[in-house]
Amino acid sequence: MNKTLLGYVPTRSPIYAIHPFVKLFFMLIVSLFPMFVAAPEWNMALMLAILLLMWISRVDVRTLRIYVPVAISMGSIIVISYIIMGGNHPEFQLITRFLGIKIYWERIRDAVVVYFRILPMIFTMVFFLTTSRERDLIVAMRSVRVPFVVTYVFAMALRSAGMVIEDFQIVRQAEQARGFDTTGKSLGYRIRKYVMYMIPLFALSLRRAEEFTNALVARGYAFTGEASRVKRADYVLTHYSFKYYDAIFTALIGLTFIVLLILRYGFGYFSIERSWLLNWLKDVLT
Amino acid sequence: MTLAIEIEDYSWQYLNTPKPALNHINLQVEEGTFLGVIGPNGSGKTSLAYSIDGLIPGQYNGIKHGQVKVFGKEVEAYDRGQLQRIVGVVFSDPEAQFTAMTVEDELVFGMENLGMSIPEIRERLEWVTELTGVGHLLLKPPYEISGGQKQRVALAAVLAMTPQVLILDEPTSMLDPVSRRRVFDVLARLKSEQRNTIIVIEHSLENLVPLASRMLMLSDGELTLEGETREFFQNMDLLVAQGIHPPGAMRFYYELKKSGQYPGSLPITLPEASQELKGLVARTRQP
Repeated sequence: MNKTLLGYVPTRSPIYAIHPFVKLFFMLIVSLFPMFVAAPEWNMALMLAILLLMWISRVDVRTLRIYVPVAISMGSIIVISYIIMGGNHPEFQLITRFLGIKIYWERIRDAVVVYFRILPMIFTMVFFLTTSRERDLIVAMRSVRVPFVVTYVFAMALRSAGMVIEDFQIVRQAEQARGFDTTGKSLGYRIRKYVMYMIPLFALSLRRAEEFTNALVARGYAFTGEASRVKRADYVLTHYSFKYYDAIFTALIGLTFIVLLILRYGFGYFSIERSWLLNWLKDVLT
Repeated sequence: MTLAIEIEDYSWQYLNTPKPALNHINLQVEEGTFLGVIGPNGSGKTSLAYSIDGLIPGQYNGIKHGQVKVFGKEVEAYDRGQLQRIVGVVFSDPEAQFTAMTVEDELVFGMENLGMSIPEIRERLEWVTELTGVGHLLLKPPYEISGGQKQRVALAAVLAMTPQVLILDEPTSMLDPVSRRRVFDVLARLKSEQRNTIIVIEHSLENLVPLASRMLMLSDGELTLEGETREFFQNMDLLVAQGIHPPGAMRFYYELKKSGQYPGSLPITLPEASQELKGLVARTRQP
């Protein structure tokens, strides 16, 4: 298994044949699709398509289970904010009153539309993160000539996130070993005592920053002066080549987006009015 | 013989500290020397390494007196990033020096900074992975491998830049005995196959002594003892007084010498000690 940003992908998977740029392009463009699609059935279809891509890529689809609580929480927040706390709207179609709260059809419809817009966006992101390694991100950016410094800072930001979590564990264990433990205490107590973790963590971060700077300098990296003007060979890119099918996939993704925009704004497809699912739901509820 | 490093009456004091980390150091290291540096914690070993690599005074604030020259040129006279092409440093905490997301990226990072071409990088990468035995780790993140592997990757990353002077600051302090041995095996190969000047700061003398051609001891920021390895270890009283623990075989002969049962110079390696013992036994059996 190869470790990816969000899990593992088998050593043999068709996804490795795809250039990292195509994956990044897919994530950036396809995650925009739901913004232009209001009809939930089309967004559901997109989710199914992404699940199919995960299956083809041999991603362990069980990974998605960890997002179920996220999806439920997100759904609850949308229900509360749109339906329960949606306000008083005499112009909307009232379905029922529940504990004195007016439930309108339009608010339910909007909640469903928003929910099924966000879910495929998350699916697209998860697909990208479960099939890509940190290196893929860097390669994708460098292959479109993003400056080295930008990609490097991005890579280090990714790495430092992991390091801060590791350091936090170290600080917590060290403090637990000396009798300071917030396990089982009230939330208020934990928040008040959080500073006990934050101060050593901050000190550790400063030390890490110093060590990292030393490592960069010792490895001949210079931010200014003659050495900073050296023309860098991008060795990592030699492992990747943009093949004909990568060009086809990139073109297909781009074309699909253009077709979607034409269908949406030229012919009115994917709108709320044309959604058979919303029409069916309206019939059921009203 | 060319002098790789010349240190003349050099003192360095970090800002807001009561006394100098290094005090009136004078040292000359010839090209191709394998120098072992020992001394208690806080004696100034790391400061000395940083001074040779230009990290001091470049990255730290403090007061400097005297001169540190690398191949005849004062470290501060080198352009930014130029000295590090000549002097490579492997730090004691391997994880602190990783600058990339995979072992392969880590190894090529320094070479890319030097402006090497792709074929050159590929050739050196093959050489250094073979030398250090990290070829099977290339696609792994450097912070997910074992401690010994991390240190070999850190060493390989510096070696790939083929510095003329290589400094290792306690490279095995976090390693188990087997991993320690593997790091020193790499250094032994490097010593026999290359002409690098190698400076190793190390507490564990078992592995260092057989390789070092010269030794140096720092104590409280001062250079208290320096010389050719064999000659260096004849000053056992001084070493022991400074809390240095020489290899067991050497201490055995030192005890024998103290009690008047061994007249010769102290053997510095295990094979030498064993040979001496055979001689001693043979002499005692003579009628």
